[in-house]
Amino acid sequence: MRHAGFTWHDGALLAQGLGVSLGLFAGTFLIGLVLGSGAAVVRHFRVPALSPILHAGLELLRNSPVLVQLFLVFFGIPALIHQPLAPLSAAGLTLSANTAAFVYFIAVAGLDAVGRDQVEAARTFGFTRMQVVRHILAPQAAAFAVAPLVGLAVNQLQVTSLVSVIGVMDLTKAGDILNLRTLRPFAVWTMVGALYFAAAKTLTLLGNRWERRLRAHAAPLEL
Amino acid sequence: MSFDLTVLTPHLEPLLAGALLTAEVCALGIAGAFGLATVLGLATAGRGWAQRLAWLYVDVFRNVPFVVQVFFLYYGLPEIGVYIDAFWTGVLALSLVGGAYGGDVVRSGILAIDPGVVEAARVGGLPRLDIIRRIVLPIALRAAIRPLGSVFVNLVLSSSILSMITLDEVTGTARGVAAETYRPFEVYAFLLVAYAVLTYAVSLGIAALHRHLNRHMVASPGVAGSEVAGKGA
Repeated sequence: MRHAGFTWHDGALLAQGLGVSLGLFAGTFLIGLVLGSGAAVVRHFRVPALSPILHAGLELLRNSPVLVQLFLVFFGIPALIHQPLAPLSAAGLTLSANTAAFVYFIAVAGLDAVGRDQVEAARTFGFTRMQVVRHILAPQAAAFAVAPLVGLAVNQLQVTSLVSVIGVMDLTKAGDILNLRTLRPFAVWTMVGALYFAAAKTLTLLGNRWERRLRAHAAPLEL
Repeated sequence: MSFDLTVLTPHLEPLLAGALLTAEVCALGIAGAFGLATVLGLATAGRGWAQRLAWLYVDVFRNVPFVVQVFFLYYGLPEIGVYIDAFWTGVLALSLVGGAYGGDVVRSGILAIDPGVVEAARVGGLPRLDIIRRIVLPIALRAAIRPLGSVFVNLVLSSSILSMITLDEVTGTARGVAAETYRPFEVYAFLLVAYAVLTYAVSLGIAALHRHLNRHMVASPGVAGSEVAGKGA
């Protein structure tokens, strides 16, 4: 068994994997945030046809395993359209859509928390729908939704670990490779777990700080 | 290639067997998670070293991905001489992570109990264990059924990950069927809808159970108002 010990290069492998995981998380979370909030606004204004279709689709995504969604996109879609799909694109697509589904339900609750009378008052004063969203709905819904969104972010960071199954070189895949070479699964998975833990805790801390700032800003509005 | 679900008909039997295995591993996992959540909820609602230890546990298991936990249990534990097969690894992993998420739910259920109820029991001379067993837990768990239910629904969705440690539950079986029929889209689309319908039905059932067990808690506005006034006094 040559080259079975841990070397410094393994640190670089893990760091690279962590980078891919964090990058994938940040990208898909931002896209999911935009898409999910957009869908929530569509529902808020009860856009005919589009609104119920989006609701059903996102409900389906929220109630099914991410792993199956990943398989459907990575294996299913190429078989259907006869076009190959790169692992990273499949992972990005799946995680963005999945994040959007969870953001949608958080954003809907946030928008519902803003009284309809405020929207009516703004409309009476001649605000356009876009102005209502920007100046009335978005700031208050954001303050309401920030705590669940931080929780969702920590969750979605961990969900990225599933993309290793379709061959994306993320932190879990790096652990897999390291495990196959060193045959020391106990140490490897402890290290990988510790790295995920550190990333998730950092994210929670940042999220809590952001939440305090947003709420400090929102508090006078509620008085 | 057109979308054709009839290709699945010859494979329904193995898929059903896989679904049965999913049901078994989830049922045992949920039972374990429920027990662990109760213990952790009591510990985190209390004080002292037990509380700190329970918090540490909840923190670790909520912040490490489920896949990593499963790999650690399945591949890591044999290295230190603990051998468990895929099925029981699955049950153990689901119990451990479900307990961590459920513990938080039970804790908030316990903290929501009116302190006067516990005080009354203490004044009445009930031993501590009886207060926990006959007063605190029944009230807290009844209030926690709906949030616990969503934890358990998530557990069912997480169980698909056990296909990665060679457990042939429904997702694992579906991978085989997809490879055999060359129709991955049909197979996974069917599986996705099946999971969604199942979990949706379970959450409806839980909501109904929650309403049934909490039916006496639905007070008229007048009664609720007097309760609030009583607390203030």
